[in-house]
Amino acid sequence: MNQAEIRNFSIIAHIDHGKSTLADRLIERTGTLSAREMAPQVLDSMELERERGITIKAQAVRLDYEHEGKVYELNLIDTPGHVDFTYEVSRALEACEGALLVVDAAQGVEAQTLANLYLALEHDLTVIPVINKIDLPNANPEKVQEELMDIGLDGTEAILVSAKLGIGIEETLAQVVSRIPPPKGQVEAVLRALIFDSRFDSYKGVLVYIRVVDGSLRVGDQILFMATGASFEVTEIGVFRPHPTAVSTLSTGEVGFFAASIKTVQDTHVGDTVTLASRPAQEPLPGYRPAQSMVFSGLYPVDSSDYGRLREALERLRLNDASLSFEPETSAALGFGFRAGFLGLLHLDVVQERLEREYNLSLITTAPNVVYQVRLVNGEEIRVDNPALMPPAGEIQEIQEPMVNASIITPSEYIGAVMELAQERRGIYKDLSYIDKQRALLNYLLPLGEIMFDFFDQLKSRTRGYASFDYQWSGNMPADLVRLDILINGEVVDAFSMIVHRDKAYHRGRSLVEKLRELIPRQLFEVPLQAAIGGRVIARETVKAMRKDVLAKCYGGDITRKRKLLEKQKEGKKRMKSVGSVEIPQEAFMAILRVSDK
Amino acid sequence: MISSPLSDWGIYIHIPFCRSRCTYCDFNTVTGMGEDDYARYVEALLLQWDRISKMPSGHVVSIFFGGGTPSLLEPEYFKQILGAVKDKLRISLEGVEVTMEANPGTIDEKRLREYRRAGVNRLSLGVQAWQDHHLRRINRTHTVLDARQGVEAARLAGFDNINLDLIYGLPQQTLAEWEESLTGVLGLEVDHLSLYQLQIEEGTPLAGQLQRGRLRVPEDDVSADMAELGRKRLIQAGFIPYEISNYCRPHKHSRHNRLYWTLNPYLALGAGAHGYWNARRWWSIRGVKQYVDNLQNGGDGIAGEERLDRLEEMREYIWLGLREEGGFSRRRFQDRFSVSPEGSFGVTLGKLGRQGLVERRSDYILLSRRGREMANYVFREFVTAS
Ligand SMILES: Nc1nc2c(ncn2[C@@H]2O[C@H](COP(=O)(O)OP(=O)(O)OP(=O)(O)O)[C@@H](O)[C@H]2O)c(=O)[nH]1
Ligand code: SF4
Ligand SMILES: [Mg+2]
Repeated sequence: MNQAEIRNFSIIAHIDHGKSTLADRLIERTGTLSAREMAPQVLDSMELERERGITIKAQAVRLDYEHEGKVYELNLIDTPGHVDFTYEVSRALEACEGALLVVDAAQGVEAQTLANLYLALEHDLTVIPVINKIDLPNANPEKVQEELMDIGLDGTEAILVSAKLGIGIEETLAQVVSRIPPPKGQVEAVLRALIFDSRFDSYKGVLVYIRVVDGSLRVGDQILFMATGASFEVTEIGVFRPHPTAVSTLSTGEVGFFAASIKTVQDTHVGDTVTLASRPAQEPLPGYRPAQSMVFSGLYPVDSSDYGRLREALERLRLNDASLSFEPETSAALGFGFRAGFLGLLHLDVVQERLEREYNLSLITTAPNVVYQVRLVNGEEIRVDNPALMPPAGEIQEIQEPMVNASIITPSEYIGAVMELAQERRGIYKDLSYIDKQRALLNYLLPLGEIMFDFFDQLKSRTRGYASFDYQWSGNMPADLVRLDILINGEVVDAFSMIVHRDKAYHRGRSLVEKLRELIPRQLFEVPLQAAIGGRVIARETVKAMRKDVLAKCYGGDITRKRKLLEKQKEGKKRMKSVGSVEIPQEAFMAILRVSDK
Repeated sequence: MISSPLSDWGIYIHIPFCRSRCTYCDFNTVTGMGEDDYARYVEALLLQWDRISKMPSGHVVSIFFGGGTPSLLEPEYFKQILGAVKDKLRISLEGVEVTMEANPGTIDEKRLREYRRAGVNRLSLGVQAWQDHHLRRINRTHTVLDARQGVEAARLAGFDNINLDLIYGLPQQTLAEWEESLTGVLGLEVDHLSLYQLQIEEGTPLAGQLQRGRLRVPEDDVSADMAELGRKRLIQAGFIPYEISNYCRPHKHSRHNRLYWTLNPYLALGAGAHGYWNARRWWSIRGVKQYVDNLQNGGDGIAGEERLDRLEEMREYIWLGLREEGGFSRRRFQDRFSVSPEGSFGVTLGKLGRQGLVERRSDYILLSRRGREMANYVFREFVTAS
């Protein structure tokens, strides 16, 4: 393909503004998929994406578009909108020269619209604003145009689109061709291709998703991964249409994938540069900033013999999720497992579900926490990503917790409610500005630990669903934090320990033991539950002993059935963790999530 | 209590017909059938009996007509079936326990006399509750009065071995009502009583009513109280508790039921009936029509089977044996499996002993008082997770 006829672009937007639906129309209009092959949000191919109706993975697709007598190759990347997947967006943008910034005509500019716009500008991309959903009865494109002006875009140039009805699609394609520049790389130079994603295929080994920056790649080439030094022979090259389709070569500026019988997952790193073993490039491409894990959680197999499978599953999943990090850890209560780092709670949830579904594992996840910087009395500095490992209070000089810069966009009438919420969460007010006459942009410095759980839900409910929210990590700050322990049957259960602000500790402890009393089934013996700070018990509950557990009758005809029932019950018990002699159901380990401070 | 010899065996005969279906019931039974259907069914039963080629070698000690509602069938059919059994085995029914289940409201003295004459010598009546509003709510077709009259009629007809079934944990049932039910049945001075906790079976109308919140069953603590009260009242009245849910006057325990708990052989006749012999457990075709057709077409009526290996048999032997108040005999276990229970399950039994759930009394291993309350906890130690 002639480089001048290639266009690489992403579709970016706030969550649910219609990126994937717009991608559908572009795929349709260019005849990439037949009507029979189409489905709503066809690029959301993961089962989880379809169930939840959101995009989780950025997804590339190649379109052939005929315009004014020329055939253009468009490489489109549909991106997720949720803040937890910003890392996916930033990697997609690295492979592009332009972006369609989609804004919902009824909702207007929202927090992730801004965040994604800034990301695109950081990458020096040509941004084409698209006002979508103009078919909605409450659509207000003029107002959105004004809002776009306010954030530094030419609102009058925005394309008016209804992805649902297929309005403005031709115009969008034409503008992609006319406004987004072709890729710049050098055809004659040695191969340099950026790995922006990867995935494990049990037949072909690792599939490496690349954007060719310089030179070109052919089947049979011996390639070299510059960071790891591993070398392989390319067995297959393909592009996404959106199904993987074999081609013989990928040239400068193109996006696609290759396979090279790569069986060890450690050889491939997202962000690494692919070059030729025979003629390696001098300098690797800049690559990506590694994702910074925001929240941590323990991942343990319910059945401890699955530990090895869990390790393998995590390694393979990391190929397809560069923002996942993990290292082995052990828990007295849960045995061998991993402490994994995530970009947010949705990310954690998605990883857990993918591990369970795609790798057929049954897992216990401990309640998520942030990572603390701790200065000890002896001057040593340590990093604590597992509350159970927080040293005793007497050894601690100071604990610092991670903070985020939160931008909240809200209709002006809810400013008071939002400020109140931020206050409750120990927020530090930064500033307030107006996007337009009706909507304000509030900036707060907030402890990450305080927004992890239900902040977003609270924000939505206190603003009748109108506020949107985005945040970036913003250093650490000291705080008066304590470790809260939970004792079951007199023993501290490490998996339940958490770090909380001193003012909230008592209340947390109280509600947590109450919650656990509901979640832990009655056992053979009475089980005391206690919450304690530094050895001092602050709350206590009791799970009463079970009085009776009997199968009333059992005669000839139902012995098999009764046995099956007992077997099923036993299987159910196996899904619980025994801590000491107490059986604790999996959900209990996430109980903290459902305990509010109110 | 003396365990039956390893070679004693029984026959279970299933009669899958009822007048209407009780809301909690998931037994194999159909409603809306008539005399013609009954006739064809009995014909099929007899064919199935005919086609059984191998019999256990010991003594038949029990024949049990269960249901469904066996008392819907004319006494004449019982005569035919029992006659066929006698002929094939070349035995008399002297000394054999022959039980039939019956529903109050389907029987009178005359009919009962005929059953008696056909060879039935033990009667089991489903009384279930002593309040008509409870009986109506669970769609039983009889009243408390029917139950009382049924027992009187049975006595007059010459039955000297009568069992009554009672259910606790019924929807909306109170402890006081349960006590009233206990007092009611005790007043009838029968020989045997079974107290069952209501089981909520998936797919039954009752399960639906509970799910929709229309009805509620008593809290766990209340049904535990009911179980305790039942046991106490019956013991005070001179009944011997001999199994988790069964009580009898001296020497009136059900020989049939005990065959199940001691893992003795029993053959099975009728739709959906289960048999057990020689480490094999099998069951007949469940659907009445399919069952009849199969036999009419020369089949043996069997739908499936499972084989228990020795370890599984040992496990079952233990958890079924522990259902009996007196537990199970270690010597009998040893005779059967050529190993002692401790030899195979020493660790588990030791643990249960330390937890105070299982005791040993001379030759017997049995549940402690707490073990009886937590019987499933103990039994689960003797099954493998599915
Ligand atoms: N009325 C109307 N609805 C639209 C239009 N475009 C998308 N939608 C609807 O908006 C919802 C979100 O659409 P998606 O395409 O999944 O949005 P997205 O931006 O890809 O969402 P994420 O990937 O989760 O961030 C769906 O219910 C779409 O049917 C449009 O032009 N008009
Ligand atoms: S009488 Fe017995 S078998 Fe018949 S429906 Fe009622 S519970 Fe079921
Ligand atoms: Mg999407």
